[in-house]
Amino acid sequence: MKTLRLARVHPGALAMLAVLTLSACLLIAGMPRMMQGAFNRAMAQYLDAAPAQQADLTALATSNGIRQDIDSVERFKLWDAEVRKLLPAGLRPVVRPPAAGTSHMSAKTSRTPVHDTGGMRYINLAWLSDADRRVQWIEGRAPGKPSTKRFENTDIPLFEVGVVAEAATKMGLTIGTEQIIGESDYAAIKVVGIFKALNPADRWWSHNADALNVNEVQPPGKLDLEKSITALIPPAALTVLSGQARQLDYRWVLSVDTAALGSLDPVEVQAAIKDYDKALALNAKGDFAHRLDTQLANLIAAFLTKLATAQTIMYLALGGLLMVALGVIVLGVQLVLDRIDQALGLMRARGAALRQIIATAGGLTAAALLPAVLAGCSLAHLVPGPAVALVHIGPALLLLTGIGYACARAALEHRAPLNERRGDVATAKPSAKRITLEVLVIGLALVGAYLIRTRGLTTDVATQGQDPFLLFVPIALTLAAALITLRCYPYPLRLIVRLAARARPAVPFLGLTRAARARSFSVLPVLILLPALAVSVFASLISSGIVRTQEVAVWQKAGAPIRVEYAGIFTDEAIAQIGRTPGVDQVVPAQLGKVQIGFTAERADILAVDLAAWSKLIADAPITLPAQPGGDGIPALVSPAMKGRGTIDVGWQNRMKVREAGVIEKVPGFFSQGRFLVVPLDANQRAGTRVNVNTLLISGSADPAQVRAEAVKAVSAAVKGGDSAKLITVAGAAEARAAITGDALTGTVLAILRIVTVALAAYALVAVVVTLVISAAERAAALSFLRTLGLSARQAQGLTVLEISPMIVLTSLAGLALGLVLPAALGPGVDLSAYTGDLGVQSYDLDLLTPTLLAAGLTGVAVVGAYAHTAISRRRSLGSVLRVGE
Amino acid sequence: MNVNPTLSELEAQASQEKAAFGGDAHIVCDNLVRIYKTEGVEVVALQGLDLLVQKGELVAIVGASGSGKSTLLNVLSGLDVPTAGLAKVAGTDLLSMAAKDRLRYRREVVGFIWQQTARNLLPYLTAQENVELPMKLAGKARKGRAAELLTLLGVDYCADRRPSEMSGGEQQRVAIAVALANSPQLILADEPTGELDSDTSEEVFHALRKANRELGVTVVIVTHDPLVSEQVDRTIGIRDGRTSSETLRREGAEGQIVAEEYAVLDRVGRLQLPRDFMNALELERRVRLELESDHIGVWPAREESNGE
Repeated sequence: MKTLRLARVHPGALAMLAVLTLSACLLIAGMPRMMQGAFNRAMAQYLDAAPAQQADLTALATSNGIRQDIDSVERFKLWDAEVRKLLPAGLRPVVRPPAAGTSHMSAKTSRTPVHDTGGMRYINLAWLSDADRRVQWIEGRAPGKPSTKRFENTDIPLFEVGVVAEAATKMGLTIGTEQIIGESDYAAIKVVGIFKALNPADRWWSHNADALNVNEVQPPGKLDLEKSITALIPPAALTVLSGQARQLDYRWVLSVDTAALGSLDPVEVQAAIKDYDKALALNAKGDFAHRLDTQLANLIAAFLTKLATAQTIMYLALGGLLMVALGVIVLGVQLVLDRIDQALGLMRARGAALRQIIATAGGLTAAALLPAVLAGCSLAHLVPGPAVALVHIGPALLLLTGIGYACARAALEHRAPLNERRGDVATAKPSAKRITLEVLVIGLALVGAYLIRTRGLTTDVATQGQDPFLLFVPIALTLAAALITLRCYPYPLRLIVRLAARARPAVPFLGLTRAARARSFSVLPVLILLPALAVSVFASLISSGIVRTQEVAVWQKAGAPIRVEYAGIFTDEAIAQIGRTPGVDQVVPAQLGKVQIGFTAERADILAVDLAAWSKLIADAPITLPAQPGGDGIPALVSPAMKGRGTIDVGWQNRMKVREAGVIEKVPGFFSQGRFLVVPLDANQRAGTRVNVNTLLISGSADPAQVRAEAVKAVSAAVKGGDSAKLITVAGAAEARAAITGDALTGTVLAILRIVTVALAAYALVAVVVTLVISAAERAAALSFLRTLGLSARQAQGLTVLEISPMIVLTSLAGLALGLVLPAALGPGVDLSAYTGDLGVQSYDLDLLTPTLLAAGLTGVAVVGAYAHTAISRRRSLGSVLRVGE
Repeated sequence: MNVNPTLSELEAQASQEKAAFGGDAHIVCDNLVRIYKTEGVEVVALQGLDLLVQKGELVAIVGASGSGKSTLLNVLSGLDVPTAGLAKVAGTDLLSMAAKDRLRYRREVVGFIWQQTARNLLPYLTAQENVELPMKLAGKARKGRAAELLTLLGVDYCADRRPSEMSGGEQQRVAIAVALANSPQLILADEPTGELDSDTSEEVFHALRKANRELGVTVVIVTHDPLVSEQVDRTIGIRDGRTSSETLRREGAEGQIVAEEYAVLDRVGRLQLPRDFMNALELERRVRLELESDHIGVWPAREESNGE
């Protein structure tokens, strides 16, 4: 009745509920968008990193005779339309239209030998539908119509072709060159044009790399290289190009828009690709053998597998946030209901039916929730990223839970019209049914945690989806921890109460007794505070684990702040000159090379370096290097693959015998697997030659670009002529860091984990404050009563703090413990290497500072809140407070 | 009656419904028991209370704090369900009501006024809207009814005021209007003047009497204010969850008000003696009763002679 007017009477509670809902909706609807956006970008990045030939869908048909030849561009286009018509609906949104992106058509011969070269030269012919847009003729002209030529007493077709410039130099295919191709059914080609790609980096060329580069292969047992190239022919040549006597393939390349792929369910895309393959085979025209040539499904599967567990972590964090947000909103609704309880009671007594009461409570809650949910969702729309299911389900769930709780609670509270309870007689004892259920939940959680550690998880996520176990166990563990906390916290308190009873001051005894009776603190705050803190601690641990491991990965990859490698030899002057570059602190020279092991074909990488100097160089980095072994001869640290060989005879600049003096797993910045050796810098000198430094490890704040410029200058001064710039590579920690932390996913994942941490901490705080406000009237009455007995205001504040804090402290401790245990419990199931440069996050137990600060800060603020709350309520006169409690 | 009834006559007699206790009284409570039970601890608020109120009566129920008078009122208002016994109001059995009947009962049969002036009215509604609320809740709003009632109770000038803008007496009179909104047959008032000074109390009582006289509504007032008992026709005292005494007021021959206090005799003949009577004669454990032609004498037990 008059819901809006009722709403206006309690603006505070409703505004608080609205703000809570707004923030929850924004987070719940915004973060999955952000995350999905990042996942999609990462998938696009991953697919784009693969050649277009693998990522695109290519319908392939092979011509087997003259009847099946496609002799005109028009027929190609008709076929293109047919091929596109067969596309399953699920794939259409990601396929670009004809001639867009890498979409094109081609007719290409393969393995077409050049006559009389003994199978060492191949010139394939290719018509590419949009070649004219992709190439620039740098010599001669574009090929024209084919003609005929007399060869071995027959007329054979003569194709005018254009080849890439590289073919002219490597295969001698200069303008005017004529060649006979084919094994029995000959054709002739005449080079009339030399081209270069307008944009060789264009993904389009991935499909036609054979036309852009001469393919050189060394066949077994031969000294010469076998070379092949694909020459371009004009559309007019299609009439003559027949698959009767040579391998001729027609291709319709459907360019895949990797960015659009994100909006689809990857599993459905995989299925659609399979369907498309079948559809193409079934709808083959004539005798054509049709098939789909793509690696897209495999690429997607590989990506999903790579990210699956990491995605689970994110959903876990978001799920935790959703649960806590639901709890906080329920608490907010409870506050509102508390405020309107008297009005509802009066309405009920005045003859309101239960549904009228429910409608009023539900309507009032909806009045606060609905605008907030709408506003939250609209704000979340501003977050870039696609809308996944959670974006819609989350806010809807918040809304329905809020209203549903309001209705259910109003119904239960006012089912009996008399709104007076005699609940003061005795505390309710839990029923046997409830205890059994709680024991069951705790048992299941423990069994789940045990199983997840022993059996691990399914890794076949691409086809089977996420392992539900990974989601179930943390939820069950959290619930179990909350139940244990709720049931068991009075026991330690009662012990303290006994001690307090013997002490002279009354306040500790009274405060702790009230805390142990737990009238003021209901179940809900515990159910909010504990998961909030647990997930928050969990998220902060994971994010700090990722950050730390990323840093390790950076140094593993870089080895030094700046690393300069040169394909020649650095002179001492050059090294000194580079060392004088502004910002360079220290230069450690090294010699990198490849050595022959014994007199066999076995090769190994070798690095000659002063490990002690190198260690000093990276003293601040989170990686360590072993000490340089001493002793006679040439002591070497060997890779695990070379372990146990004793003295090894190696051929570098000279033959030398190195002595195995230890094992080194990885050489940061240089080697991580295979066969490698680390020897002292002067190894070559000891072997009788000289040290040829070709690698410099540099520390300091110097700009890598400047170091590079200086190195080029220094090297050019020593070596006259030649392009030294090409021979020098400069890499460093900054570059590695940018590569590891800069990808779409890592930044987002860390941002989400941090937002979740902060949001949950804030919600936990809100939960405490709302609970304080809800129980304020009762506490104020109790305190006023005690104050009439002589309790001072200061003692009253102490009493409140003592009453509130045990629960908060104990719940915080439980949440902290659970948060710290969760990563360990899930450890084997969660692989975050996708975010850390493929280096698995090994341990989470290092950073205790953040979680502890989180828990302590939260507890502190809550206790201060309780103190402040009492201080404020002190202002009310005793009489009015006592009257309220009547 | 036939001295030697035949079998068929006896059967007819047995099947005949006996006149119920209280007959056609408006409120009938017979051996009413209400026990609050929380986790094994029982509080007996009413222990076999009997009460009869006729239609159109204005009665007060008095008793010390904790004597069970508020419980009785909650039972009568349909807000609470008795544990055992019989409670009937206007022919409606309060024990066997379904939730739907209970709602209809609260909407149509009773009106309620609480002690706290603030508790009777929704603070965010005006007086008029407060009076209209029960009608709207029952789904039968009558135009002009609210204004009519406010005028009847002399608070028509408060129609557009919120409770916070009214005095305590005005609030209680509006509360009476609210209670009367759906034309109930019975009004129950729990200490309606408990928070008011004597002048304002007088106004509220006047309003209640007016409702009683002009609308013919039965009014039951629970109070421990002795002044109230002077304003009503009958005062019923409750002690330890039972009706213990009744004071009837009538006009004497010379126009003065004569109040006579009676003890209540229940259906099986139990009687509660006033505590001060018992103390005066040191009545303990047992008494001697002597039946006279027009009364029963109650005597202290004789001193037992020690074997003399």
